[in-house]
Amino acid sequence: MTRYSPATRRHLLKMMAAAAPLGVAAPFALQMATLGSAAAQTVPTSYKALVCIFLFGGNDSNNMVLATDSDSWSRYFAARNTGNDPIALMPPGTAPAAVGSVSPVTARTVTRSTPEFLGGVLPITPLTPNPVPAGTNASSRSFALHPAMSPLVQGAASPWNAGRLAVLANVGPLIVPTTKAQYSNRSVSLPPNLMSHNDQVSIWQSGAAEGAKRGWGGLMADTMLAQNGSSAVFTAVSANGNAVFLAGNTAVQYQINTSAQPAVLPNAASGSTLYGSQTAALTLAESIRDVSGTSLFAQDHGAMTRRAMDSAQALNTAFASGPAASISAPTNYTNPVTGVVEANTLATQLNTVARSVAAATALGVTRQVFFVGLGGFDTHDNQNTTHTNLMAKLAHAMAYFDGVLGNIGGLNMRGSVTTFTMSDFSRTFTSNGDGTDHAWGGHQLIMGGAVRGRDVFGQFPTVGVDRAGFSNPDMSGNILVPTTSVYQVGSTLGKWFGLADSQLLTIFPNLGNFSRRDLGFMV
Amino acid sequence: MARRISILILACLFLAACGGGGSGGGSTGTGPAPIPGPTEAEAGRLLAQGTFGATEAGIEAVRAGTTESWIRAQINTPPPSVSHQAYLDARLAELRVTSPNATLSYDHFIESWWLASVTGPDQLRERVAFVYSQIFVISLASDVVDPRGAGAYYDMLTANAFGNYRDLLEKVTLNPMMGRYLTYLGNMKEDAAGTRTPDENYAREVMQLMTLGLYQLNLDGTPKTDISGKPLAAYTSADISGLAKVFTGWSWYSPAPSTSTFFGGNPDPDSKVRQMIFYPQYHSTSQKAFLGATLPASATVDGPGDLKIALDTLFNHPNTGPFVSRQLIQRLVTSNPSPAYVQRVAGVFNNNGAGVRGDMGAVVTAILMDPEARNATAADDPAYGKLREPVIRMTHMMRAFQGSSLSGKWQVRTTGANTSLGQAPLLASSVFNFWRPGYVPPATTVLGSRNLAAPEFQIVNEVTNAGYVNVIEQTISSGIGTGNDVRLSLSNEVLIADKPDQLADRLDRLLMAGQMSGTLRKRVLDTLNAYAISPTDLTQANQAKTNRVKAAVLLVMTSPEYLVQR
Repeated sequence: MTRYSPATRRHLLKMMAAAAPLGVAAPFALQMATLGSAAAQTVPTSYKALVCIFLFGGNDSNNMVLATDSDSWSRYFAARNTGNDPIALMPPGTAPAAVGSVSPVTARTVTRSTPEFLGGVLPITPLTPNPVPAGTNASSRSFALHPAMSPLVQGAASPWNAGRLAVLANVGPLIVPTTKAQYSNRSVSLPPNLMSHNDQVSIWQSGAAEGAKRGWGGLMADTMLAQNGSSAVFTAVSANGNAVFLAGNTAVQYQINTSAQPAVLPNAASGSTLYGSQTAALTLAESIRDVSGTSLFAQDHGAMTRRAMDSAQALNTAFASGPAASISAPTNYTNPVTGVVEANTLATQLNTVARSVAAATALGVTRQVFFVGLGGFDTHDNQNTTHTNLMAKLAHAMAYFDGVLGNIGGLNMRGSVTTFTMSDFSRTFTSNGDGTDHAWGGHQLIMGGAVRGRDVFGQFPTVGVDRAGFSNPDMSGNILVPTTSVYQVGSTLGKWFGLADSQLLTIFPNLGNFSRRDLGFMV
Repeated sequence: MARRISILILACLFLAACGGGGSGGGSTGTGPAPIPGPTEAEAGRLLAQGTFGATEAGIEAVRAGTTESWIRAQINTPPPSVSHQAYLDARLAELRVTSPNATLSYDHFIESWWLASVTGPDQLRERVAFVYSQIFVISLASDVVDPRGAGAYYDMLTANAFGNYRDLLEKVTLNPMMGRYLTYLGNMKEDAAGTRTPDENYAREVMQLMTLGLYQLNLDGTPKTDISGKPLAAYTSADISGLAKVFTGWSWYSPAPSTSTFFGGNPDPDSKVRQMIFYPQYHSTSQKAFLGATLPASATVDGPGDLKIALDTLFNHPNTGPFVSRQLIQRLVTSNPSPAYVQRVAGVFNNNGAGVRGDMGAVVTAILMDPEARNATAADDPAYGKLREPVIRMTHMMRAFQGSSLSGKWQVRTTGANTSLGQAPLLASSVFNFWRPGYVPPATTVLGSRNLAAPEFQIVNEVTNAGYVNVIEQTISSGIGTGNDVRLSLSNEVLIADKPDQLADRLDRLLMAGQMSGTLRKRVLDTLNAYAISPTDLTQANQAKTNRVKAAVLLVMTSPEYLVQR
């Protein structure tokens, strides 16, 4: 595999973006040229899994991944060190300040919930220098993560330092490459209902607003059902409730519980009885999974229960033995703001995913798409308290997952499992006093042994709202206009997963509008 | 409460004496002349739509008059004399007798909720309040919402169930729990430098979720489109920014408002249950433009005046009638109402016949009186109806089978786990409720393949389906909640357990409004007959009868056809 520099790719990306408004024909021709004979379908052999971590509510990625060159930082700090509860994080190298002390940075009294208490943001140095964008007055760019994310970046074995974690900069739903001016003038096709939670959750997962019936995880699963054979029901698996992401044309989301799958009490197994009667048990088992009713609602409900009854036992058996049974449970994490030690719900879901990965051999599945989630990111207020805790949870859970994947029954499965974050949207660059509002483009994390880690992919934008003498080419008002489409990210993942280009173009109908369908972040 | 149960028993005895009635028509052709008015089946359908579940007494109450007179009587029935807030205050006082530092929790709020919802005589009001709690969503899953505050909030929804939507909107807007949940309590005006902007959360969600929805609507609830067929947005981000400025300067009640109380200092003991108050110094005085209204920049601070114009604008918007009407129809009657049905109800929202807009008593009446709600033939369409809400299945079972609380406190505790009901009152995961009105199941389902909405399916999956069967079984067998606090009484059913046809009729009448299919009825009979009743061994016979009833109730309650309200 040739590794070519993100800078070159970005250059190409800009060229393509510039070419796009010419019409569909231009990008299509370019695609053919760049992809050449790669259209032949890769035949997947060994196990691979995609794991989507959805951050519900709209993660303020402005405070998750930060540009720390002095020009960017000063704009950031000016925008956010304001209001009744300022949400500006502390610059890199700032020592954590004791509660009750006066911060040398802000001259404010420190409490457990103020950023001063956490100390500075955690520097990350990408292997490839991220180009300095127009509008940023710097000779080079440097970056950092939220101070509560140390499990991802501290120590040689941490996902970032070990080269298994990367940042995808300024991603969002886009129909065509879109500039600030095009967005402001509404002169290109835009995704519907930008900044509306439910619609953007749906759009990230499916490309369509609320009411969508298929998502790209499910459509990818469709292509893998056959190779999963009799265990095809475990191809698209959620540990976080129903998600359109996992719905395909034939693939059906399967909901997995974080403890054992609940068996239906009268499970129709031979000898099972209901209040002492085998006949009653059998009749009940037949009734609850009846799909012959006239009501369409009843048919769908019966079909779902049928699936639950048919699969719970197989799954529980596979989970109870072999490597799946020996996956270590996540440690509790400490809420950095309150100091309270508690279970991390995201880590618990990822534990279930890890057990599924471990059980894959027993179940005979070779391709799986998983969905897990963490809520609470709609930080319109109390952002310091809420977001810090969520960043800690996310980092703790991802580091835990990376750790257990390193040894599944003696095998390092990291290279087979790629984990990525998505979120409704990122949030406004400016503060509303103690929080942020709905915006658009934002940064995401991607982790796995097959990820070209320790790098930033995509153009990290110029930050800061327009002022006299400063016009930010990446920001309209206080929202970032994305420079990378969600669907480019999806197609890069899909290619790694084993899908052919033609399949990716079907799954992502607008993908053809973008020059690059492989962003290069997968090995 | 005691009076209610005795009425229930009397009604049951009366029916048992009548032989249980027919399974579908109500008029069996024998016995005394049928009471004029709705049949048993018609009454059962009305009660499924307009209460927390049919009971013998409920069916008789409907049949004693007309559909309309029942609705009118229900609208005139006041909320229970003990409000949620009063219940919670008494509960806290009780807790503090033994633990001086005790505080209220979600579990205490829902004790009051189950009590009112299962036993309240104002069933239609309680059901409509539950609908409102899913449109004007606050959630005790968030730690910014206080149990006592939530109780007072729910009291407000209940009291205003049949009032005017404009009043409801204002009371919701000024409620501190909504203020906290949607983060505009303590919201400050923009700063002079233009660095800080007002919080836009409520401005956005009050439009998207409570009044307008995303798209410009026709009166029949269908979106207006441009010439290329794309739906037209109902508002822009500029409207949101403009409206957000209106919701600045509102914060906690205090008899002595100060900067400190604005930010939550020196809390008044009642600040969580009293309307927010206006703090002029934090209210934006710059121009506020939204939805065609423009409040010019002004040197005079007039928060309440700005709020009035904003709420009037939202209330009078042409979207609000169809948007609200369609959601109420979806909650009460059917997931995919015809545009004509929506239009008829929205017309009543716009004008109750006496020139009043937003008369929710008239709107609810129009929803339940509509031919599409009442016509049993319409209900035969395979696409008609809705998945029953998990919580309402449980209230229904408790009501039908005389559920009562051992402790008197209805300590059901949360049913939100996916291995329980997967739904618990006032415990949605976000302001978007347990489900979205526009949720369409995946393309692989029959509903999805026909592009039909099925909101309640959004929280249904393999885990919850198994969990549901199990929690119903446990409730039938032992009860539900702390120490199985709420238990059913199946004595009326055990009395007829040796008469399978009568028992099947009774379950059909109480649970299924006479809509039980031949297939399910046969399964009920097979189940009943699976337990032989000894003619000689009385102990065995009693046990067998009990088992018959438990198994048959479980069979019906978990059958896919019961799960659909149609």
